[in-house]
Amino acid sequence: MKGNRRSGTRETAIAAVALLIVLVVPFVHRSPAFEDFVIRLSSMALFATSLNLLVGNTGMVSFGHGMFYGLGAYAFALMMQMTELSLPVAAMLAVLFTTVAALCVGAICVRLSTDYFAFITLAFQMLIYSVIISWQSLTGGDQGLRGGLPRREIFGFDLASQLHLYQCCAVVAVLGLLALRHISASPFGQTLRMIRDNESRTGFLGVVLWRARLWAFTIAGGFAGLGGVLAALFVSGAYPELADWPNSGQAIFAVMLGGINSFLGPVLGAAILLALNDAVARVTEYQGLVLGIVILIFALGLRRGVLDFLRVAWSKDSQ
Amino acid sequence: MSAVITRRTVLAAGTASLLAAPWVARAQANTLRIGMQSILSGPIALLGTSSRNALMMEQDRINAAGGFLGRQIEIVYRDSKGQPQEAARIARELVNSSGCELLIDAEASSASFAVQEVVRSLDVACIHTNSETSSLTADPKIRAPTAFRVARQGVHDAVAGSIYLAEYASAKKLNKWATCSPDYAYGRDTTAQYLQFFKQFKPDLEVITEAWPKLGQPDFTEVITKLIQAKPQALFTLLYAGDLSAFVNQGNIYALFAQMAVATPNVDYPVLAAIKNLPAGIQSATRYLETFPDTPANKEWGQAYFKKWNERPTNWSWQNTVAMQFYEQAIKKANALDGKALAAALSGMRIYTPFGVDGTITMRDDHTTIGYAIGWGQTIPKEPFIVDVKAADWGKIIELETEWKKQQRYI
Amino acid sequence: MDLHALGACLTTSACVVTQTTSGLIVGMLLFLVAAGVTLIFGVLKIVNFAHGTFYMLGGYVAYTTLGVTDSYMLAVLAGALSMALFGVVFERALISRVYGSNVLMQLLICYAVVLIFDDLVKIVWGPEFHAMGMPQAFQVPPLFIAGGVVPPFYAVLIGIAALIAIVLGLGLSMTRLGKTVRAAAINAQMVSALGVNTTLLFAIVFAVGGGLAGLAGALAAPVRSLSPGMGFSVLIESFIVTVIGGMGSIAGALASALLIGLVRGFGTIGFPQFTDGLIYIVMIAILLLRPQGLFGRRL
Repeated sequence: MKGNRRSGTRETAIAAVALLIVLVVPFVHRSPAFEDFVIRLSSMALFATSLNLLVGNTGMVSFGHGMFYGLGAYAFALMMQMTELSLPVAAMLAVLFTTVAALCVGAICVRLSTDYFAFITLAFQMLIYSVIISWQSLTGGDQGLRGGLPRREIFGFDLASQLHLYQCCAVVAVLGLLALRHISASPFGQTLRMIRDNESRTGFLGVVLWRARLWAFTIAGGFAGLGGVLAALFVSGAYPELADWPNSGQAIFAVMLGGINSFLGPVLGAAILLALNDAVARVTEYQGLVLGIVILIFALGLRRGVLDFLRVAWSKDSQ
Repeated sequence: MSAVITRRTVLAAGTASLLAAPWVARAQANTLRIGMQSILSGPIALLGTSSRNALMMEQDRINAAGGFLGRQIEIVYRDSKGQPQEAARIARELVNSSGCELLIDAEASSASFAVQEVVRSLDVACIHTNSETSSLTADPKIRAPTAFRVARQGVHDAVAGSIYLAEYASAKKLNKWATCSPDYAYGRDTTAQYLQFFKQFKPDLEVITEAWPKLGQPDFTEVITKLIQAKPQALFTLLYAGDLSAFVNQGNIYALFAQMAVATPNVDYPVLAAIKNLPAGIQSATRYLETFPDTPANKEWGQAYFKKWNERPTNWSWQNTVAMQFYEQAIKKANALDGKALAAALSGMRIYTPFGVDGTITMRDDHTTIGYAIGWGQTIPKEPFIVDVKAADWGKIIELETEWKKQQRYI
Repeated sequence: MDLHALGACLTTSACVVTQTTSGLIVGMLLFLVAAGVTLIFGVLKIVNFAHGTFYMLGGYVAYTTLGVTDSYMLAVLAGALSMALFGVVFERALISRVYGSNVLMQLLICYAVVLIFDDLVKIVWGPEFHAMGMPQAFQVPPLFIAGGVVPPFYAVLIGIAALIAIVLGLGLSMTRLGKTVRAAAINAQMVSALGVNTTLLFAIVFAVGGGLAGLAGALAAPVRSLSPGMGFSVLIESFIVTVIGGMGSIAGALASALLIGLVRGFGTIGFPQFTDGLIYIVMIAILLLRPQGLFGRRL
C-alpha cells in the first residue's frame, strides 16, 4: 500500500517533468514538424495505451478498438459544428458518449472467450464503420465531416494556433496517461492482471469476471474516445478512416512494437510508428515494403516490444 | 563490460536516430520546392502515378525554360494513401519542414477537403488537381482564399452529360433507365446531379431501378442480374477504373450489353486498354482523349506522354499539367510566390493550353476552371476508342451551374 | 431501403430464381477463397490474415502465365501451384516461428507480409489495374436454366468449387492423411510422439490452404480486376465466412458462404445501400447466439 503511494508520487513527478520539457521546447526552438508530431503522438499514445489496458493488462485482444477512437472524433466534431458548446464541454461530452457506447458494445462482447471476442469486436467496428459511411446526412459519408471545426477560444487559448493546440494536446495526453497509469496500478488493475494470468482461479476468488472485463472495456473505450477528440482537433474534422479497421491495426502495432508488458510501451510504439511513417514517406513511395520489413524484424528478431525487450536485456546485464 | 555498453549504446542511439530522423532540417538550396501529394499506393495508385508523370514532364519543361522567377523548380512527392488525416499531416509537413513554397494537391475528394483546411490556416498557394466534388470551391464556407481547383467539376460534367444523354435518349426512344454507381459520396451525389438535370431535359424519363455496389467490390454478379431482371432500356453507370473493368467483364458473360444501352462518363485510356472485350456503342464522355479537342497540340502532348512513360495519359495527367501552366503564368504576372499575390493573379486568369475546348482554359473568380474539354461520343473497340465526339456547350453549362448554385444557396 | 422492391421480387419466380442463382454463384466463389482460411485455422489455430495476398498473387501469376502460354488451364495451374509452394515457404520461414504465441504476433507477421507483397506486386506489375479477359472457350452466350441465367463460365467455377468441397470434406474424413491432420488439430504433440512428422504435416496444410487461395485468384481473374491491394476485400469476406461457418469447419464454410451469397443476392434488392451492414449484423448475431459458428466445435 505504502509502496503503491510512493510509486504514485514518483510517477506524477515523472509526468510533471516530461510535461515541463515538452512545454518548454517551443520557447527554445520552434519546429512546426516537431509540434505536429507531438500533437499526433498525444492522440495515438492515448489510443494505444487504452488498448493496452485490454491487451496487456486484461488479456483481452480487441480488433475493433478503432471504433471508439472514431466515435470520439465524430461525437466531438459534430457537437462543435452543430451546437454552440464550448470546446472543453464538447470534448467531455464526446468522451462520455464514447464511454457509454463502449459500455453497450462491451456488455454484448465481453462474455465471449478470447478469439471470439476479437472477432466480434472486429464485426462491431465494421458495422459502425458502415453506419458512418451510410448515414451521409449526419456524418458526410465517406467524405467525412467537412468545413472545419469552429475555433472557439477557451481560457485565452486559440486552438487555431499551432502552439496552443500543441500545449493543449500535451497536457491532455499526459493527464490521460497518468489516469490510465493510476487505474492500471490500482487494486482494480491488479484484478485485471489476475484475470489475464489465470481466469478460473480469479473466478474462484469471487471476482465476477465479466463485470471486471466490462469495466476495463468501458474505460479503455472512453480513453480511446479522448484520443479521437485530439485527432479531430488535429485534422479539423472527422473522417471514417479514423473508425476503420486499419486504424485499429495501427494501435495494435503500436502496442506490439512498444511492448505489452510495460506501461509506456504503447507510447514508445506509437512514437516509433509515427516517426517511421514520417521518415519513410519522405524517401520512398514503397512505404509498405519498408514498414513490412521493419515489422518482421521486430516480430521475429526481438520477439517482443522494444520496451519489454530493453527491460529483459537490462535485467540480464545487471546480473 | 564494453560489450554491455555497446549494446545499450547501440540500442539507445538507434532509437534516438529513428525518432530524430524526420526533423533533421534540410539544407535550403536556391531551388524552388513545390509539394505534391496524392495516392501513390493501393488500388487507385494510378491516380497519383499518372499525375506525377505529368508533373515530371512539366518540371523538365519549366526548368529548361529557366524555372520560376529564375529559380529551378523541384517537385517533392508524397503518398497520403488517400487517408484524410495523413493528407492533412503531409500538407503541413511539406510547407513547414520540407520548405515547399507552393502546393499541388492531387488527392481524391475526401483528402482534398482535409488539405483545404490546412491551406486555409497556412495561407500558402495550393491548386487541387484531382478533386471533382463541386462543393470544394462552390460552397463559400468551404472555399479557401489561396486554394484553387484545376480539374473537372462534378456539376459541369453532370450538365454536359445530361444534355447529351437527353438528346440521345429522345432519338432512340429510351425512357426506362437504370443506374449503377459506386456506393459512396461521389457515386451518390453525382448520380443525383445527373438525374436532376437529365429529368429536366427529358421529363418522361423513368428510373426503374438503382444498384449500389461497394467501391472495390470484387464480384458484381448479384448487381448485374438485378439490373437484367429490371429490364431497363438503358443503364447509366458511374463505376470507374478497376471496378468498371470488372463490371464490363462480368456483364459480358451475362450478355448485359446486348440487353440495354449503356452510358458512362468515366471511360479513360487505362480502362480502354485493360478491358479486353470492350463492347461497341457505349455512350461515353471523354476524360482525356488525344483526338478531342482534335488539335495538333493535344495530339503532340498525348504522344509525348506515351513515348516517355510507355502508357497513355489519364484525365488526371492533363489536369496536373494545366495546374503547372497556371502557376507558371500566375507567377510571371504576380512576380511573387506568396499565397495572396498568387491568388489575386490566378482569379480570372485565362491561359492557352491544348486541353481547352477552344485552346484556352479560364480560372474563374470562384477558384474553379471552366472551358476545358468536355465531350460525349461512343466507344469502338480499337483506336481512337471514342468516336463521333460532340463538344459540350459551355454557355449552357454555366447557366445551369448558376441555377444549381442558387438552389444550394451558395450564391 | 426498398422493402417494396424486395416484396415484389419475392413474389415473382423469375426474380427469386435469378437472385438465388446469383447468390449461389457469389457464395461458391466466396467458399473457394475461404476454404483455405478455415482449413489452416482448423489444423494450426493460425488465423491467416495474409490469405488475401495468396489470392492476389495467384491472380497475377495466372495473368502473366496466360500472357506467355495463352492457355487458361496452364494459367490456373500455375496460379494454384505457385501459391502452394509460396504457402510452404511462408509457413517454414515465418509462421513456424510463432506457433503457440499470441494471436497478435500472428496478425503482425501476416500484416507485414501483406504490406510487403502489395508493394512488390506494384513494382513488378505496375500500379494500374489489369484485366485478364475471358478465355475464348467461355465467350459463349449464357444458359437459361429454370428461368435463371447461368453463364457457362460460372457453371464451371461452381463445379470446381463443389468438387473442392467434396474432395476436402472426404479427404479429411476418409483418408489416412486427413485423419492424421484432424488428429494433429486436436493434439499435435501426441501425433508427433506417435512418429508422425508434424513439421511436414503443417507444411502440407499450408500448401493446400495457399494453393486454394491461389486457385481462387486464378479462376476469378478473367472476370475481376487485378490491382495491388485487391486481397483486402477478399480477406474480409473470407474472414466473415469463416467466422459464421465455424472456424475450421469445411461444411460450415460452404454453408455460410452460400448464406452470405443469398444475403447479397436479395440484400441488393431490399437494402441496396446497406448490404454490408446486413452481413455484419448476421455475423454479430451468430457470434452471440452460437460463438463457435454454424458448424464449429467449441474451442
